[in-house]
Amino acid sequence: MGSAWRDDGDVPAAAPTAAPRSALRPSILRTAAYPDWDAIYADNVSRVYRLMFAKVGNRPDAEDLTSQVFLAAYGSLRTSRSVGEVQAYLLVTARTMLAGHWRRTLGHQVTEIALDQDRLQEFAGPARQDGEQSSVASDAPDRIDRILGALSDRHRAILTLRFLRGYTIKQAAAELGVSVANAKVLQHRALRRAAGLQPQQGQEQEQGQEQEQEQGREGEAS
Amino acid sequence: MRSAVDRYVERLLSRRRPGPFAPTEDDLAIARTAIDLMAASPDSAGPREEFVAGLRAQIAAQDVAATDTAPRPAPAHAGSRGVPGRRRVLMATALTATGAVAGIGVDNLLTRQPAAGTAADPAATDSAITPAHGAWQSVVAVADLPEGSVLSFDLGSVAGFVQRVSGRVQAISAICTHQGCRLDLTPGRDQLACPCHGATFALTGQSLTHPRSVRALPPLPRLAVRESDGHVQVYAPATAPFSATATTSTNPVDP
Repeated sequence: MGSAWRDDGDVPAAAPTAAPRSALRPSILRTAAYPDWDAIYADNVSRVYRLMFAKVGNRPDAEDLTSQVFLAAYGSLRTSRSVGEVQAYLLVTARTMLAGHWRRTLGHQVTEIALDQDRLQEFAGPARQDGEQSSVASDAPDRIDRILGALSDRHRAILTLRFLRGYTIKQAAAELGVSVANAKVLQHRALRRAAGLQPQQGQEQEQGQEQEQEQGREGEAS
Repeated sequence: MRSAVDRYVERLLSRRRPGPFAPTEDDLAIARTAIDLMAASPDSAGPREEFVAGLRAQIAAQDVAATDTAPRPAPAHAGSRGVPGRRRVLMATALTATGAVAGIGVDNLLTRQPAAGTAADPAATDSAITPAHGAWQSVVAVADLPEGSVLSFDLGSVAGFVQRVSGRVQAISAICTHQGCRLDLTPGRDQLACPCHGATFALTGQSLTHPRSVRALPPLPRLAVRESDGHVQVYAPATAPFSATATTSTNPVDP
């Protein structure tokens, strides 16, 4: 499975949990001022990117939005300001840019950046330790846990393989012992369930029945 | 079965940019859930170094172009004044086309320079940090920095390392150019190591290794440093809250 992102954990494993926030120290104090633009950029570019990634779920869009934020904020932030002010300003700018992005693409605010105090503190939090676990300094791992935890085993398995472990649909189908077509159906239904939607008409009425159906199809497939 | 939202999700899963479509309410809920789950993607960890360096170069270019213009008031008006030449044209186009700054993508392509100045060349002139409103602040006594020694200091606003090489005092930033983590001296005191991703830097500031990429990181910025009145002094913002508590890893010194 060359494309697997993680090789740890069992299939339905929950996402890793965050390190305690208090254990990490901020690199620059919020009351301090940034010495220059470069310091503003260096300290915040990853934060803005991770925030945007959490809101759009893909790198090309997250990078474009990050560029937009810094290029737009640049004029207003050329003079040094306190770290707190700078980050609040970046967050407001990020919110505006994200809203524009959704207006242009899906025509709805699919996700948005809230501007409450918690959000600001989260944004200002120290850069998380490393890749494997870090996303935005955020509750993302908890949210993934919550999403997956509410699902049936098979739904959780397909989403875990595809989203957490980077399996292709083919690899996931092989792992679950179903046909590719069935894996696609399973994934679609799992996502609907995870999104809190009722099964579509003509599909399963309830979880148990759905399981049976899927297992029935597996039998045919193998 | 293969709906537009399924294609949207597949694009996310293949780590590419999804295309626009006209979603139903259900589609939106599914897209939102998929985006939440993508937080597990390795791409969520941070921006690519090439991207960080490229955007830095782009901002630096903008800095030169806009040196003596007044600060602009709001993000929505970015580029509306004070930006000469090509940028202004592009920005104006973007504003009329979408009411936002969609033109930046195009601009990226046009201004993206080989980020050599920041990424590869340790002697790049723009890697030196000299604050506009700063003061010389003592970090250690001259006598405590003999030839070949390295000491860390933290002035609150600026943290770095001072060292004496061939009789001359040098200072570099202690902040990793990858994700801004504070670097530590290695036990051998001859390299700097990042606690976040394990990147290492030479004491010249040059990137040595970076486990997450084959590319070198931008060098550590050099800091203005001098010897005066028996102290090694670093030029740093005067407003630093802890300017009176400079410390070194071996000998705390009263400034």
